[in-house]
Amino acid sequence: MESSRKKRWQQLQAVFGPGFKQMLLVSVLLHFILPILYYSPFFPQREIEKPPVYRVNLVNKIVKNPQAGRPEATSVKKKPVVKKKPKPKPKPKPIPPKPKPKPKPPVKPKPVPVTPKVEPKVQPKPTVSKAQNNTLKQRLEQMRASQKKKDSDQARKDRIAALKAAALAESRQIESPVTDAPVGMVDGSGDEAGVSASAHVQEFIQQQWNLSKYQAVGNPEAEVKMFYSADGALIHYKFITKSGNSAFDESLTRAIVKSKQLDQKLPEAMEFHIFFNLKDMLDRP
Amino acid sequence: MKYFTINAFVLIMLYVLCSTSYAARIEISAPGEQTIPLAMTRLLPMGVGGAKPAVVAEFQEVLQGDLELSGLFDQVDPASFLSDADKLGLRRNEIDFYQWRMLGAEALIKGGYSLSGGRLTIELRLFDVVTQRLLTGRRYVGQVSDVRQIAHTFADQILKSLTGEKGPFAAKIAYISKRTGHKELYMMDVDGHDPIRMTDHRSIVLNPDFSPTRKELIFTSYNKGNPDLFRKEIYTGRESRVSLKQGLNIGGRYSPDGREIALTLSKDKNSEIYLLGTDGTIHRRLTNHYAIDVDPSWSPKGNKIAFVSDRRGNPNIFIVDVHTLDVSRLTYEGKYNATPAWSPKGDRIAYARMDNGVFNIFTIRENGSDERQLTFGQGSKEHPRWSPDGRFLIYSKDIDGGDKSIWIMRADGTGGRKISARGGKDSHPAWSVHW
Repeated sequence: MESSRKKRWQQLQAVFGPGFKQMLLVSVLLHFILPILYYSPFFPQREIEKPPVYRVNLVNKIVKNPQAGRPEATSVKKKPVVKKKPKPKPKPKPIPPKPKPKPKPPVKPKPVPVTPKVEPKVQPKPTVSKAQNNTLKQRLEQMRASQKKKDSDQARKDRIAALKAAALAESRQIESPVTDAPVGMVDGSGDEAGVSASAHVQEFIQQQWNLSKYQAVGNPEAEVKMFYSADGALIHYKFITKSGNSAFDESLTRAIVKSKQLDQKLPEAMEFHIFFNLKDMLDRP
Repeated sequence: MKYFTINAFVLIMLYVLCSTSYAARIEISAPGEQTIPLAMTRLLPMGVGGAKPAVVAEFQEVLQGDLELSGLFDQVDPASFLSDADKLGLRRNEIDFYQWRMLGAEALIKGGYSLSGGRLTIELRLFDVVTQRLLTGRRYVGQVSDVRQIAHTFADQILKSLTGEKGPFAAKIAYISKRTGHKELYMMDVDGHDPIRMTDHRSIVLNPDFSPTRKELIFTSYNKGNPDLFRKEIYTGRESRVSLKQGLNIGGRYSPDGREIALTLSKDKNSEIYLLGTDGTIHRRLTNHYAIDVDPSWSPKGNKIAFVSDRRGNPNIFIVDVHTLDVSRLTYEGKYNATPAWSPKGDRIAYARMDNGVFNIFTIRENGSDERQLTFGQGSKEHPRWSPDGRFLIYSKDIDGGDKSIWIMRADGTGGRKISARGGKDSHPAWSVHW
């Protein structure tokens, strides 16, 4: 078995001569190098970077107390607050959670300091008629009710303030549901622009680019390589391909010159391959 | 040794791969701003001759009007100009581009003028503010009365410099006006200035068309009783009848090379489209149908003609191949489509369509797709004709049968403005080639 292999090997050597081993080695090397070269910068792959997708989870955003706004929920809590003394009037209770009774309080707070006055008036009780007595009682009831409303309003305000503070503290701890989300979006972190560096550069250069639709002829396209330092300064640029339309190409040169200094720093020195075209401007007669 | 070499090679390759920095790929599919910020300074006197504010103002008004109509520019407010606007410097090293960059300008027009012995000299420059380059510069010499023509010519030059294609402002517009009580042929500048009456037929003159090669016009006139086709040399004023066949000799249109004329003849008791030589001899009959065929308009290549026919019931636009005589229908929508005009670029055909008793201007591709309505609102808009560069359209607008006037707009329907004077009952405009 082994001898047959040897024979075969010798035959091959005889056929391909003395350089057989070298050829074999070169062949193996080539197979190894080619895939490496394919992924090297010598063969750039023209894949347009997908625009960043920001996923904001609005539906599941954490809410401290989802039931807080519902009337039945508030009324349930109010029951313990409301002292059971004025039980005879069970109906006014569902009303307090609504801030409608506000118009009345301004009228009633005044009587509060007057309360001492009201009581002295009670002295001439014997002379006061029954009807007057009833009205006095009514007024007292109203004053009590208004005082209770005031208390409950204050309690509600305090509770809302506490909830707001808690929600704020919690929102600071929320983590992005997207693991590789761009900075400055869901979790509130990131730079002032609030987007990824390449998105910012894209926006910045686009803003510097002026071209009238009346200058655009055909479907011009150009590719430019731009290298920025971490300070946002343009180190160098090179047209990889030009459109051949002088108006279009010159407008790009102007945009590049205007973009020689970005308005903010980059996380690191970066190289951008920018593809300019007029896809979004083509709808013209 | 061999293994060492191989290992070294592989290591080098890996190093090359790892050391290359990540290049982000970005696509920008539209500019951020779709107008060019332009600063236009006033002409300043150059040495000899005193200041002539009237000349400067007229020049400024004409140039500004043309550039505004082009739709290319967003003009920087002159009130914001800094000290450089008051300096005559016409060389790039004499201009403080930093000031203009601060104002956001990307293009800058500077100029000076001198007037000596009635001879006006105007020097003009267009600069790229961002790259600090001279884009174009011209010196014009003429009479004071030429100031408008100089402004139009420089506007054309600016468009050529920024788009690669010359503008159409230094041209003429022929039209029919009834301001003398009769329909006569008139000619004016593209901005409606300086109207001149060209005929005194005291009858009915219709359908003018400019020769693409010579300074002459053809038109139909009832001067001799019959609607005959006339030719008129503009500078000599000489007039002659090109076609005087019995019946209609109407809607004459020069071929793009100026060697033939397409027109409607009804010598055989039915209107058909014919090709004539410039001497009036019939070269070919293009249509042969019992329906009425009128209003021919050449494709820029000269191989097809769009025309109006009611062979399918209502007037619609059809296209006939000049060589094979194959006829194809172009419009299907609407009940009345008329007066086609083929764009000099060849991409679209403009025409007027009547809906609810009102005509509006539409354009459509040669294959019948992408039909677009360009005009809206009250008043009939008819007789569309293209500028020689295909950037603009002129047409007549009739507001409720009252004031009929000539209007101009961009090819996309924007920037419409009236150019002819009031009270003329003007119609049937035609735009000349560069004058």
